[in-house]
Amino acid sequence: MIRAAIVVIGVTLLTLTGAATDQWPQFRGPAAGVIPDDPALPETWSETENVVWKTTIPGLGWSSPVVWDDHIFLTSAVSSGYEKPPVPGLYDEHDHVKAAAPQRWVVYDVDFKTGKIRWERELYKAQPPLLRHIKNSYASETAVTDGERVYVYFGSIGILAAFDLNGKKAWSRELGAFNTQVELGTGASPTIYKDRIYVVNDNTTQSFLSAFDKRTGAELWRVNRDERGNWSTPLVWENELRTEIVTAGTVKVRSYDLDGKQLWELRGMTTLTIPSPFARNGLVYISSGYPGALPRPVYAIRPGASGDISLKPDETTNNYIAWYHPQLGTYNTSALVYGGYYYTLLDRGFLLCHDAKTGKQIYGRQRISIDSTGFTSSPWAYNGKIFVLSEDGDTYVIQAGPQFKVIGKNSLGDMPLATPAALRGSLIVRTQSKLYRIAGNAKK
Amino acid sequence: MTPRTTLAAVAALLCSAAVSIAGAAGFAADSVTLAPVGTIPGPADLVQVQDTHAYVVADKTLTIVDISNPASPMRRGAYTFPEKIWGFRVVGSLVYVADDFFGLGILDVSNAAAPALLGSFKTPGQAKNVAVFGTKAVVADHMSGVDFIDVSNRARPVSLGSFFVDGYARDVVVAGSLAYAVDAPAGLYVFDLSKPGPLDAVSTQQSATAPGSIVVSEGSGTQGPKVAVLVGGGSLQVYDLSAPAAPVRAATHRTPSGRPLRVALHDALAYVADGREGVQVVDLSTPSTPRVVGAYKTPNPARDVAVAGSLVLVVAGPLPQGNVPSGGGEVLILRRTP
Repeated sequence: MIRAAIVVIGVTLLTLTGAATDQWPQFRGPAAGVIPDDPALPETWSETENVVWKTTIPGLGWSSPVVWDDHIFLTSAVSSGYEKPPVPGLYDEHDHVKAAAPQRWVVYDVDFKTGKIRWERELYKAQPPLLRHIKNSYASETAVTDGERVYVYFGSIGILAAFDLNGKKAWSRELGAFNTQVELGTGASPTIYKDRIYVVNDNTTQSFLSAFDKRTGAELWRVNRDERGNWSTPLVWENELRTEIVTAGTVKVRSYDLDGKQLWELRGMTTLTIPSPFARNGLVYISSGYPGALPRPVYAIRPGASGDISLKPDETTNNYIAWYHPQLGTYNTSALVYGGYYYTLLDRGFLLCHDAKTGKQIYGRQRISIDSTGFTSSPWAYNGKIFVLSEDGDTYVIQAGPQFKVIGKNSLGDMPLATPAALRGSLIVRTQSKLYRIAGNAKK
Repeated sequence: MTPRTTLAAVAALLCSAAVSIAGAAGFAADSVTLAPVGTIPGPADLVQVQDTHAYVVADKTLTIVDISNPASPMRRGAYTFPEKIWGFRVVGSLVYVADDFFGLGILDVSNAAAPALLGSFKTPGQAKNVAVFGTKAVVADHMSGVDFIDVSNRARPVSLGSFFVDGYARDVVVAGSLAYAVDAPAGLYVFDLSKPGPLDAVSTQQSATAPGSIVVSEGSGTQGPKVAVLVGGGSLQVYDLSAPAAPVRAATHRTPSGRPLRVALHDALAYVADGREGVQVVDLSTPSTPRVVGAYKTPNPARDVAVAGSLVLVVAGPLPQGNVPSGGGEVLILRRTP
């Protein structure tokens, strides 16, 4: 019996390990942008070099690709008219746009091997009810998949839906389309954990966190939130003490148990919270950093918190906040913890490095390139290198570790905002118009 | 610097903050009256004045208007840039224009009837304002911070580098060889443009509220500027510039509207475009104690102001959304007495 149990545990661990390295089920993958080393993963590429295939994706969508076996899922909003193109960089004005024409909200399944669109499914067609920032899209939420279905959420029309791997719709739910503060559009992706899908929608009508049964789409519970608009994807944090749902918000960071009961909260974020919480090495990292406001905090939080864990004036740490930095938060990008270092990619093209456990500065603001327009995609890492993808379509390769050094630049020449997936020797990059599979040994 | 000299310096600065600048500026007012004398038809977002010409910006277009007879302004010429004009400086017969994503534009206005673009330089993001020191221009840029540009060849400006500011760069102004830049949410930076090498701040400090613009009083003879005013966050922040490279905040002055938008300094008076409350005139003879000495209620909200001699030009029109102009507007020409 004991022997049988060990075998079962072993098989389970193998399965989990396999899933963690071979699949890319959610935004930033299974390990918050850190990919196991693999010499087959590409480190140089261009529009033609090391490109296994590239496929034109209709419409505009900044949802990041997710991958399960040979299925690459992504979403798009396809306009029936001409829409003003997104403008890279950070800027005033040019902010809000109204769709010029009705849109189709579409889910794509692209074949990992060939790049051909295996199926596409139109979920909805209408004139978008909401405005959006000109750099946002009506399909910015990244799908999640468990290998049985793909779960998509379009905040711009308020629909959560599931499709099986053959493109058959399993269910859909209308959650309502709500404006966010200053009408910038939506962006927080759903999260999957075991049998549930979790959705945060912070808006100016009634913000909420909901849990759904992934098989039926039934809403299992909903808690209201005192927020007016955030774009941060919730994290289900399996830590040494418990499993909890960590949500970043401008009013408060809040953590809930899996039944929606609030466990702890934290004040002290800045306006417009976009970076997504992530966990590495026993800590969860939370940040927000609109450049036009202060503070722009980063918090590293230990497991087990309860109640209000906000820092008191002049505090930089407490029982649950391992470290805090008042001015390290980013606007759009989520940070990266790799090899014991916490890397901050500032939207305006700087990289900073801190000790991930203590917050101690390793190096300060280092300009990545004088030529880059801006950064929204989150960084990723493998093979001792950090990759940062600019809105110009240039990926800068930076050596990991305590010395800052740019060691390469790979250009695709098309604007990206999505964060790539990396697995099985391939990098899956979504730009404004195309999806690329790039591989270190693309010709083989 | 020893602790004693530090204390002495601090004491000197504190004293200087309370010293009247009226002597240098030659003006201290008990009361000021403003009366309308003319109107420049809109649209208008920004206004500046040099000699007998008003320079009026509306969206992408800069228009030159002869105000020799302020009761009857005469349009002389105009130039339309590719992008929205966020700020500009008139320097002799040149106008340096901060033109959004187009960057820096240099306009020859020696023939006011036919302004001509001499050259341009694309800054990384949105160019928000520009100031000029000899053959160098400094541009407040939304993405890169403060860009330093050699404009000795106006047809081919060349980058000399940039200084990244922590927030969004909003404005920059030059006094002598020093440039003062502000960013939102809370920064004031001083640069010495006479120093060779990369642009670097000689001092930085956190301002009390989010500044959207900065003005510096004119120097007098060998005297440098005496006061800087930061506008934003619902108030004016008055800085004493007795030590020009080390501004000392002397006062925060809240205006009646709670939303001052722009300021022009002339002598020791600050003319405040104070939104729905029109124009406020504030005496800064003693920087630590600003004193309201006049006001003029404009029919529409006041959103920019310029002063030349006894003339005060005010852009009046719909309030901007955030820091983005709303269009419309016209320029009211007022005369100050005494």
